[in-house]
Amino acid sequence: MTIRRAIGLRLALWYAGVFITSSIVLVALTYALLAASLRQRDQQIVASTLRDYAARYDAGGLPAVISAVELEQRTGSREQLFVRVLGPGRDALFLTMPRAYARFDVDGLETDADGIRAEPARDRTAVLEVATARLPDGTVLQVGKSSDNREQLLERFRRVMLIVSGLIILAGLAGGAVVTHSTLQPLRALASVVTRIAATGRTDARVPVPETNDAMEDLSRSFNTMLDRIDALMTAMRDSFDNVAHDLRTPMTRLRGLAERALADGSPAAAREALADCLEEAERMQAMLDTLMDISEAETGALRLAVTDVAIAPLVEEVRALYEDVADDKAVQLEAQAPPDLTVPADRDRLRQALANLVDNAVKYTPAGGRVTVTADRDNEGVAIRVADTGVGIAPGDRERVFDRLYRGDRSRSERGLGLGLSLVRAYVHAHHGRVTVEDNGGGGSVFTMWLPQE
Amino acid sequence: MRALIVEDDPTIADFVAKGLREAGFVVEVARDGDRGLQRAVSEPFDVAIVDVMLPGRDGLSLIDALRGRGIRTPVLILSAKRSVDDRVRGLQAGGDDYLTKPFAFAELLARVQALVRRASGAAEPTRLTVGDLTLDLLSREVERRGQRLDLRPREFSLLEYLMRHPGRVLSKTMILSHVWGYSFDPGTNVVDVLVSRLREKLDRPFDTPLLHTVRGVGYVLRPEP
Repeated sequence: MTIRRAIGLRLALWYAGVFITSSIVLVALTYALLAASLRQRDQQIVASTLRDYAARYDAGGLPAVISAVELEQRTGSREQLFVRVLGPGRDALFLTMPRAYARFDVDGLETDADGIRAEPARDRTAVLEVATARLPDGTVLQVGKSSDNREQLLERFRRVMLIVSGLIILAGLAGGAVVTHSTLQPLRALASVVTRIAATGRTDARVPVPETNDAMEDLSRSFNTMLDRIDALMTAMRDSFDNVAHDLRTPMTRLRGLAERALADGSPAAAREALADCLEEAERMQAMLDTLMDISEAETGALRLAVTDVAIAPLVEEVRALYEDVADDKAVQLEAQAPPDLTVPADRDRLRQALANLVDNAVKYTPAGGRVTVTADRDNEGVAIRVADTGVGIAPGDRERVFDRLYRGDRSRSERGLGLGLSLVRAYVHAHHGRVTVEDNGGGGSVFTMWLPQE
Repeated sequence: MRALIVEDDPTIADFVAKGLREAGFVVEVARDGDRGLQRAVSEPFDVAIVDVMLPGRDGLSLIDALRGRGIRTPVLILSAKRSVDDRVRGLQAGGDDYLTKPFAFAELLARVQALVRRASGAAEPTRLTVGDLTLDLLSREVERRGQRLDLRPREFSLLEYLMRHPGRVLSKTMILSHVWGYSFDPGTNVVDVLVSRLREKLDRPFDTPLLHTVRGVGYVLRPEP
C-alpha cells in the first residue's frame, strides 16, 4: 500500500513538474517575443517620424517641422512624441514633449551620433527611445517615444500571465493526479484482486484488462491466464477428490456391511468368512485408490512421464502373454502383431498399462469362440495401436461415456470390474498428447484405437 | 535373526513385530527416528524395517546417517507414498528395498527374508523340495512322487517362486510382479488363472493338495493341508 502511494505521488509530481516547467518556458518565450516586438514597433515609430520631419525640414525649414508637429498634436491621432530641434550650436530651437516625459533627462541626451538609443528615465521605470538625425546644415533633429505605453501593455500581459501560470500549475497538479490515477488504475485493480484472492482463497475473480496495448495490458492478461490455469488445476483437483471420495464410498459400505453381518451372526465360521471378504474388499479398494490416483495425476498434468523410444512389437507381445491364459480359459482367441521396426516416444510402463487395460476389457467382454486382435501401424497422425474384439459391442450412445469414471454400460453390468480401466487409458493417452477412440467392429464387437503422436 | 522396526504407528509396529516373531525373529521396536538410529548404531541387527514418515529424524535421514557410519544392515523402507520418485529417493538414501503401505504381511516377510538371505550370501540351491515335490533348477524338471510334471514356463516360474517360500503366503501382487514383472493391477485376475492351471497339473492327479488358497491374502505351498 505504502509503496503504491509513493509511486503514485512520484508519478504525479513528475507529471506536474514537466507540464508546469514546459508551460512556463512557453509563457516566458512568448513574453520575451512580445516585449521585443513592441520595442521594435516603438523604434519604427520614432524612426519613421524622424524621417518625416527631416524631409519637412529639408523642404520648408524649421517652421515646416513646427507646423507638422502642431498639426499632429491638434489632430491627436497618435500618441504625442518628444520632438527637439537643435541648432548647430546645440541650442534648442524647438522642443515639445508630453508632460509625463519630464522623468527623462532630455538635456543630457546624446546628440552627436545618428541612430536610435534608449535613454532610461531618472526613476528607471521606463526608457525613452530616441532617434537622432544630423541634418546637412548642422541642425540636429530628435524624435523620442517613451516605453510607458508598451510597459503598460506588458504589465497587463504579465498580470494575465501570472493568472494563467497559476492555472497551469493547478492544471499540472490536477493532470498529474488524474494521469497517475488512471495509470495506476489497473495496478490498483490487480492489487485488489490479489488481496481478495489471498483473503478468500477464491480464484474465480479476474482483473479487468485495460485496452491500452501496453505493459499494463500484458500484465493483466498474463495474470488472468495464470489465474485460469490455477483455477483449472484447482477444479480438477477438487473434482478428483470428490470422485475419489465418491468412488470409495461404495466399497466402504460393502466393507461395513460385511463386518456388521458377521458381528450380528456371531459364529466363528461366519467371522472367518467375513474377515476374508473384508481383506479382499480392502485389496480392491487399494487397487481402486491407486488407479484413481493415477488417473488424477495424469488428468491434472502432475504425472511425470519417463519418455523413451518404445518398440511396439515387444510391448504388444508382453501384453498378449499376460492375458494369454485368461483368454485361453474363456476360449477366446487372442492375437497380437506389430511391425518389428515400429517405435513411438512414450512412457513404456504407462503405455503398457493402457494397452493391458484395453486388452483386459476386450477379453472380458468377448464371449467364448470370439477373437481379440491387437495390431499396430503408423499413419500420418502417428502410431495407432488397435484392440479389436468380436464381443457384445458398445451402443453408439455409450461410446463417449465408456471412458468416464465408473461408467459401465448396461451390457457390462454382469462382469466384475472397477469401471476405471478405460478412464485410465484415456488419461494416460491424453498425458501423451494422443487420443483414444472406440468404433464399431463391422460384424459386432468394438475397436479401440490409441493414437500416439510421433513427436 | 534380529530385526529392528522403526515405526511410529503402534498398530503397524505391533502387527509387524508379532508376525516377525512368529517367523522366528527377535524383534526390537523404536518409535522415532532418533531412537531408531541409536539402536541401529549400538546393537547388531540382521535387518531393519524403517518407516519414512517419523517424528524427529525421518526415515531417509536415518538410513543416510546409518550408511554414513559404515553400518550395512539391510533396510526395508516402508512408505505411504507409492510414486516412482519416492521409491528412487528411498533407494538412493541407502535403502535396500521399498514397500508401500498398505501391504500384506506375507509380502513384507518375503522381502525381509530375501534381504537377510542376500546379506548372508547363502549359496543358491540347485534343487528345491517341498514334501513329495521336487524341482530341479538346472534341468528345469519337476517331479511329484516320481511322476514327471509337464509345466509351461510361466507355471514353472510360479511353482519355483512358491517352492522358494514353502509355507509362506504369497500375495497376488507378489506373484504378478515375480512371474510377469508387472507392478500394477491388470484388472482381470491373471494370477488366479495361472494358479488354477498349475493346480490342475500339480494337485489334480494326486490325492493330497499342495497349493492352497488363503482367502483375501494369496496362495501358499505346503505339504500338509
